Parts: sequence; structure tokens; C-alpha cells
Amino acid sequence: MLNESLIVAQKEIVDHARDVRSVISSLMYALMGPVVVFLVALAVRSQFRAGAASEVLAGMMSVFTLVAAFVGGMNVAMDTIAGERERHSLLPLLLNPVPRHDIMIGKWLSIAAFCAAGLIVNLLGFGVVFTTAGLRLTGDAGALLLALALGMLPLALLAASLQLLIATLCRSLKEAQTYLSMIVFAPMLIGMFLVFYRGVPEWFNLLPIAGQQLQLELLMKGGSLPFSEPLWLGGLTTAAALLILFLAADRLERDEILYGN
Amino acid sequence: MIKVQSLSKSFNHRQVVANLSFEAPSGSITGLLGANGAGKTTTLRMICGALQPQSGSVVIDDLEPDAAPLKRRRRIGALLDHMGLYGRLTVRENLVYFGRLQGLTSPELKDRTASVIAMLALEAIADRRTAGLSQGERMKTALARALLHGPRNLLLDEPTNGLDVPTVRALREVLRRLRDSGVCIVFSSHVLEEVRALCDQVVIVAAGQCVAQGSPDEICSQAETETLEDAFVRLTVC
Repeated sequence: MLNESLIVAQKEIVDHARDVRSVISSLMYALMGPVVVFLVALAVRSQFRAGAASEVLAGMMSVFTLVAAFVGGMNVAMDTIAGERERHSLLPLLLNPVPRHDIMIGKWLSIAAFCAAGLIVNLLGFGVVFTTAGLRLTGDAGALLLALALGMLPLALLAASLQLLIATLCRSLKEAQTYLSMIVFAPMLIGMFLVFYRGVPEWFNLLPIAGQQLQLELLMKGGSLPFSEPLWLGGLTTAAALLILFLAADRLERDEILYGN
Repeated sequence: MIKVQSLSKSFNHRQVVANLSFEAPSGSITGLLGANGAGKTTTLRMICGALQPQSGSVVIDDLEPDAAPLKRRRRIGALLDHMGLYGRLTVRENLVYFGRLQGLTSPELKDRTASVIAMLALEAIADRRTAGLSQGERMKTALARALLHGPRNLLLDEPTNGLDVPTVRALREVLRRLRDSGVCIVFSSHVLEEVRALCDQVVIVAAGQCVAQGSPDEICSQAETETLEDAFVRLTVC
């Protein structure tokens, strides 16, 4: 079972890595945050103390990092199901003696790989920005890395599941592009709201997307978190990702995926 | 061998296939002949397991109708309506991907890939991406993909659509060779000349039902006409 999923994932990764325009577009999306933060850092450098500027920019950075987890796999998600339906390559694929949910898991793994790659490029970009712009984070780097590993990587899985589910509902690339572009705004909206809203309830820390935003921002501003919080958040995010993946796999079992509206 | 028994399917309360039965023996080419919208494509899709029938069953070789669907799929190769190739992969990569999903081991995959590439004369384009291929080359690649795992049953949905004369003749030759090696071939078409040139037996479908079955000569005598075209019109036009 895993072997067949890995065959599908490997093919999707090779296939989409050759789509140069799509890779460049994903890179640009992932680096959009670091570029914006770099420009803002240059603009405000003379007006704030270094520490204060870093604190403001940390809030912005956490929002862009959330978005990066979604944009890396967007092009792959729209192409891998909706694009295959449009190009009529989904039917021959589903005629293979492989359970459809295994095919879905393979596609999900490939999208998640691109989402995680987008996230890593984004974080590397921020690393370069912070070094070159003379900014510094006040938080504990170890705790921050732990939160990123436990909270953000599962977010890449959730992003892949959401995008895959939406892609199974679309009949054409154009339609998928429309809806998936909107999905990217979800983490941005949630993130921006939480950056400026005060008095967020405690349980928001355990909500996927919102929790990642709150934890990242807190850690970047020098706060501390018990180890269990990123762990719980990562677990809940992974559970949500698997539940949505299950729904997407169920869509692939239906006749409509090949012939319906 | 493919045995279709009382197959029915409807979409949005519209009956597309109604109680359709026919048998396609091994080592023969069976033409599924019908006008546009007669239910040919839906029938082929139900045979290969892409669509679930509402009632009826399909027997593949010695497998019971309730045999595991994945086991049945291993016995079938299909080239349905569109080629559905991956444009950024080469011909060989497309074949290898599907061979791996068919469960072929590495040595088998190497042998089978070389064999179908040679059979369909794809050597010159084997390492070219399929996005730049002509219609005929893409059709041959899709056929190679359908034959890669050595299926004993082959389903083709209007495979000659859009092909030039030399490619059609080459395809016919390949199909005859496969038939002679014992493969059961079912192919749908609405081109009577094509069916007459290739098929050992014909199943005429109208409004999702089988209205005649037999060799082209038997169909003509059944309809009391001189030509297959006249027989087709007499049997299908109300």
C-alpha cells in the first residue's frame, strides 16, 4: 500500500519539479514574506530601536510563514486532480490495480512535500533578511525550532489535505485556481486578525492555523511555551489533516470524479 | 474472455445502458457498434471497473463477477476516449510509471517496456516528452501503456479517431497480431468500415441495449440487407 502511494508521490514530485513556471511561481510566493519584511525593515530602521522593530516584524513574519505553508503546494494540488481530470489522465490512472485511496495518499504526500519546501524556503529567506537587515529575534531559538517542527510541518500536511479536497471538487484547472487562491487567504486573514486582536481565548492555541500563528508570534517576541503545547497543536493539526484527506479520498471513490459535475 | 450480463447504468435518471448482455471470446476482436450516445463508452467503462454498474455483472476470464476489483483490473488493458498521457514525462517514463503501478518487478518492467516499445515502433521517440508528440505517436504510447502488463483482455474506445491512414493501418496490424496471440479485444466505434475490416464479431448497441450480435455477415442476414451500413440503419433507427 505504502509502496504504491510512494510511486505516485515520486511521479508527482518529478513531474511538477519539471514545471518550471509553477516552481518559479511557488518560490516567488514563498519569498514574498521575506522581501516585504526586508523592505519594511529598511523603512523603519531609523524610526525604531532595533528590538522594537524586530518585535513588529516578528508578527508580520509569522503571518507570512503561515501563508508559505499553503502556497508551496498550491500549483501541484490544482494540477494533480483538477488538471488530471481536465487532461483526461485521471481515468487511465484509476484503471490501475491500485486502491484509489492509495493514489490519493501519494498525491497528498507530494503536495505536502511542496508545501513543506515552500515553508523551508520562506524560513531560509527570513533567516537571510534578519541577518542582512540587522534584526534580531528575542525568543529562544531552540523553542522556536521545536515549535516550527511540531506545529508548522503538520500545517503543511493540513494545507495539502485542504487543497486536495478542494481540487477534487473542481472540474477544471481554472476552477481549481480560483478556489485554491482563495484558500491561501485563509491563513493570512486569521494571522492578521490575531496579530492585532488582543484578548484571544486560551483555546485558540490549540486551533490549527490560529494556534501556529499565536505560538510563532509568542516565541519570536521572546515568550516561552511548555513543550506540550506545540506537541498538542501538531497532533491536532495532523488529525485534522488526516480527516480532510479521508474526505478527499472518499470523493475519489465516486463516479462523479470521472464523469459528473 | 469478457462476458457482460444484463448490465445497466443510468446518470441523473437517464438510462444510458439497459440490460445489455454480450460475450467477447478470447482470440477475437469484438466491435461494439453504435451511434453517438448509444452507451458504448459507458459499457466499456463498466467493463474495466471505472464505473460501477447499477445492475448486472461482468465476468473476466475465469474470475467470478464478485472477484476483487483490483484482481480483475490486472487482466484488462484499456485505452478509453483520450490518451491521458503525462506531457512532462517521456514515453518511457509514462510506461514505467504505469508498469510500477501494475506491480511489475524491475526486471519485468525493463523487459516489458522494451517489448512494447519494439512492438509499436516507438524506439525513436521513447525518450521524448509526450507533450511534443503527434496524435498518432500519442495514441501508440497510450496503447503501449495499455499493453505493458500483458493483459489478456484489451478495451479500446474509438482508437482510430483523428489518426492518419498509415497509423490506422499500423494499429490494425498490431490488433490482429494481438488477437492471433489469444487476446480478447473489444473496441467501440461508429465507423462501419473500420468494424468490417477488423472485427470477427459485432455487437450493435442502440439506446443502451444490444439489438444484434454476430459476425458482420450474420448481422447482414439477420437484418436482411446487403451491407453492414444498411443493417446498422435498419436495426438502430426507429
